[in-house]
Amino acid sequence: MIEARAILNLWGAEVSYGSRMVLRGVDLTLRPGEIYALLGPNGAGKSTLIQAICGRLRLTAGEVSLDGRDPWSTPACRSLLGLVPQEIALYEHLTVRENLEVFGRLSGVRGPALVTAVVTAMGLTRVTDREHVPIRHLSGGYQRRVNIAAAILHQPRLLILDEPTVGVDQDAREAVDAVIRDLRDTGVAVLIVTHDMEQADGLADRVGFLREGKKVMEGAPRDLIQQAFGSEMEILVQLSEEPDGEDETLLIETGLQRRGRTQLWSMLDAGGYAAASRIDTLLRQAGLAPREIRVREPSLQNLFSLVADWRRAA
Amino acid sequence: MILAMFRVMLLGMLRDRGAMTMTFLLPPLVFVIFATVFAGASGDDVRLKLAVVDVAQTPASRRLEAALLADPNLRAVRVSPATADQVRKRVRAGRSDAGLVIRADPGSAGAPFLIFSDPSRAIALPLTQGRVQAAMARHLPDVMLAKTLDQAGPAIGSLTERQQARANAAVAGLRADATSGKVAINPPQTFEIEEISQTQKGRGTIAYYAGAVTILFALFSAMNAAMSLIEERQAGVADRILAGASGMGPVVNGKFLFLLLQGCLQAASIFLVAQIFYGVPVQSHFLSWLITSLSAAICAGGLALGVVALSRTREQAQMFSTFLILVLAAVGGSMVPRFLMPPWLQTLGWFTPHAWAIEAYHSILWRDAPLASLYPAWGVLTGIGLGGLLIAHISTRLLRR
Repeated sequence: MIEARAILNLWGAEVSYGSRMVLRGVDLTLRPGEIYALLGPNGAGKSTLIQAICGRLRLTAGEVSLDGRDPWSTPACRSLLGLVPQEIALYEHLTVRENLEVFGRLSGVRGPALVTAVVTAMGLTRVTDREHVPIRHLSGGYQRRVNIAAAILHQPRLLILDEPTVGVDQDAREAVDAVIRDLRDTGVAVLIVTHDMEQADGLADRVGFLREGKKVMEGAPRDLIQQAFGSEMEILVQLSEEPDGEDETLLIETGLQRRGRTQLWSMLDAGGYAAASRIDTLLRQAGLAPREIRVREPSLQNLFSLVADWRRAA
Repeated sequence: MILAMFRVMLLGMLRDRGAMTMTFLLPPLVFVIFATVFAGASGDDVRLKLAVVDVAQTPASRRLEAALLADPNLRAVRVSPATADQVRKRVRAGRSDAGLVIRADPGSAGAPFLIFSDPSRAIALPLTQGRVQAAMARHLPDVMLAKTLDQAGPAIGSLTERQQARANAAVAGLRADATSGKVAINPPQTFEIEEISQTQKGRGTIAYYAGAVTILFALFSAMNAAMSLIEERQAGVADRILAGASGMGPVVNGKFLFLLLQGCLQAASIFLVAQIFYGVPVQSHFLSWLITSLSAAICAGGLALGVVALSRTREQAQMFSTFLILVLAAVGGSMVPRFLMPPWLQTLGWFTPHAWAIEAYHSILWRDAPLASLYPAWGVLTGIGLGGLLIAHISTRLLRR
């Protein structure tokens, strides 16, 4: 039942606190050289799942296996994994090199191997040019990359990243993504927990959606999107000003939904460009001149909205 | 792994000027303040502020008032207007430590003096009584003799004419000598005084406060440094470490090792000042001083880690540590010498590490106590520290869940 080649296997993982079930029979498999993105709204059970994988939590039922061993009962096997917490889990008064030396030693790396590990980790995460700079003087992007470097010094076979790009700009995010891809290419299995759908879409070989402790969907991003939306396309309408009540009713009747609190409205429609043209005409006739109308393939964000919307999922 | 965490703590302190100041500059400074205040207050150097008023206005009362105003051991002032109420007001306002009203001739029967005493300065009362007695003996011996003769009369019966004449002559002679500045009667040498140490006056108090400040700041600095346990938890460092195979054990041990070094260096900085500026003999008692300092550092480090590890948030740890530091210091004798406390509080003090540390330092540096007498103090201090360390280990192991 447990896949032999996989570095991580979860089978029927259940965790409950009293009568409250936090994880409900989650299965998960992760192979070397694979990036898996774990998605889900707050409270879906993602953190609990990570704690179980890290051996900090005992499953109420089911099994977790890290290269064939249970990380709860066999703490030694936890040396196979590296955790990159959501926070910048570094000593800010120490330099990049000093931090990596500390975390290397705490991971059990010593002597010449530590020197090599620090140099390699700095190279992989592209922070060598800042090795003597204290963490508090680094930009957010660099801090994120050092955060990753500190988790790979002992050459883990499974790397878990919790929101690795939260709070960084686009350039910094791309740099972090590049580091993650490089690590994947060295054969490391990568498990990312993220709310950044764009990142998951661009990076992950597979994604899994958790909702209320259950895995409700899993697969390659493109396959899932294809299954969920078929030939539907996403139409994005950018308005230049706030619509009044009558205009808002028109937009909703057209099938558009507001994206957050922005002037961006969107809908899914199998009609694609033809549908976009029809909407453009309709809005202009109503005196609502859109600043921009775009048509694109549905993304993980659409899928996430679909999963998060219980009624549609049901 | 332990040394890695030790290095983190060390670099953290070395790169934080505030922490360096708090750890190594503030303790000797506070010690110097305590030493200056309490060493000066331990002997004859107290110069009482005394408000004096002579209501009686007799020749003898005027002589006593003049003697008190000229006494170099007093800062006596004549109060104007010369009323008892004015003296009372002055003492109540805190402008004088005590007040003296000469309300009748000093040689008269009954209580010719009224002293106004402030209970918050209780020591001023016996000091005032002592200075008045001394002034009477030195400057009004004739009055004292006459008063003694009057008081002795009922017991020995009336004097013969010849005896009375000789007594009157003696009183007159004494008055003449005292008026001319000669000291006619020296105060009776009822007591022979032998000091237990021939060393500089006040050094015992200084040795006491060196120990008191050392244990106070050892705990204070250790609590401050141990807060990093919570910071690591909040910053995700603990998550990162707990995800590995080693767990938090080496982290706690590394911090403990650093706190030992910090405590010992802090003690060294305080006692260095004590030796250089006050002549406290640390060098000649180095081994026992070192073991005591190490025990105190073990105690402070372990206790701090235990308290912080049990706290969920920094605020909670801050509250616990402030409470502990202040209460233990107050009860244990770091703020006020224990011998001044009521007996029950002195007994309670033995439940604090402060009392044990202070007594150990004092025994070594003031009483030249033998090593064997220090074993209980070393044992208690080390025991408290290792107990705290054990709590820290258990608590951080529970973090896994």
